[in-house]
Amino acid sequence: MASTSDNEKIPNWKSDFPILEEEATHVSRREFAKFLCLLSGGLVLGNAGIVIKSIAFPSQPLEGEHLICTAVEVPVGEMKAFVIKGKSEVPYILIRLHENVWRAFEQKCTHLSCAVRYRPDLKKIECPCHHGYFDADTGRVLQGPPPRPLPQLEVVVRDEQVYVKAKTETIT
Amino acid sequence: MSDFREAQNQAHPNKTNTLMVGILSLLIGILAIQIWLLYSALNNALAQNFDIAVASFVGSTVLFIMALWLLRYVPQPRIVRKKHRERESKYE
Repeated sequence: MASTSDNEKIPNWKSDFPILEEEATHVSRREFAKFLCLLSGGLVLGNAGIVIKSIAFPSQPLEGEHLICTAVEVPVGEMKAFVIKGKSEVPYILIRLHENVWRAFEQKCTHLSCAVRYRPDLKKIECPCHHGYFDADTGRVLQGPPPRPLPQLEVVVRDEQVYVKAKTETIT
Repeated sequence: MSDFREAQNQAHPNKTNTLMVGILSLLIGILAIQIWLLYSALNNALAQNFDIAVASFVGSTVLFIMALWLLRYVPQPRIVRKKHRERESKYE
């Protein structure tokens, strides 16, 4: 029969800081289970952070019109990168698809924020990091890992000056 | 010759082991679902679909409570390793 001293409870100070190295490095399955629960709690906190961020601090649409360049600076089939300064600097690209067809998209790929570029030979927007492709007309994902379309701005050309502003939703 | 008590004692560690493996598997499964929920919440929040973020937060919380509840069934350690304690006592 096992003696009672065998089943004696080790005090916390001793189990947390054992003398023997092998005891200190040993992770029991009980401890591992508790650690998994801790991770689970961390994921709940992360999820709560997303909810709080999206409710309390929603992303603000671009305010007003911003002058980018003159129309002659961007030939047909070319792109121009620009930055709009606000709370943070957001990089965009301006594409001239045809003589009077302009598009502006955020330059950060929706996959891992690599800088995207317009490929005139393919007539698509390409993310060179993981070969994701976006439609140059709408910004929707055509191919590759990006999960969402590129955020788009509305382009206004007035007196040969190119302006961008927040895209207004149109019901077609 | 073995009696009932000895058989019980021999059987019990095996049951504990099975229980422990089962609980750990469930916890890992819960974590995998929570990671998936977090990923989808983030992606949808970035695409301005906030409802998914709220729903996944509720789901993730329920899974966390389930994980905590599972800890109730983690078996208690039964045996203090006598050999180690004897070796430790040398330093005390």
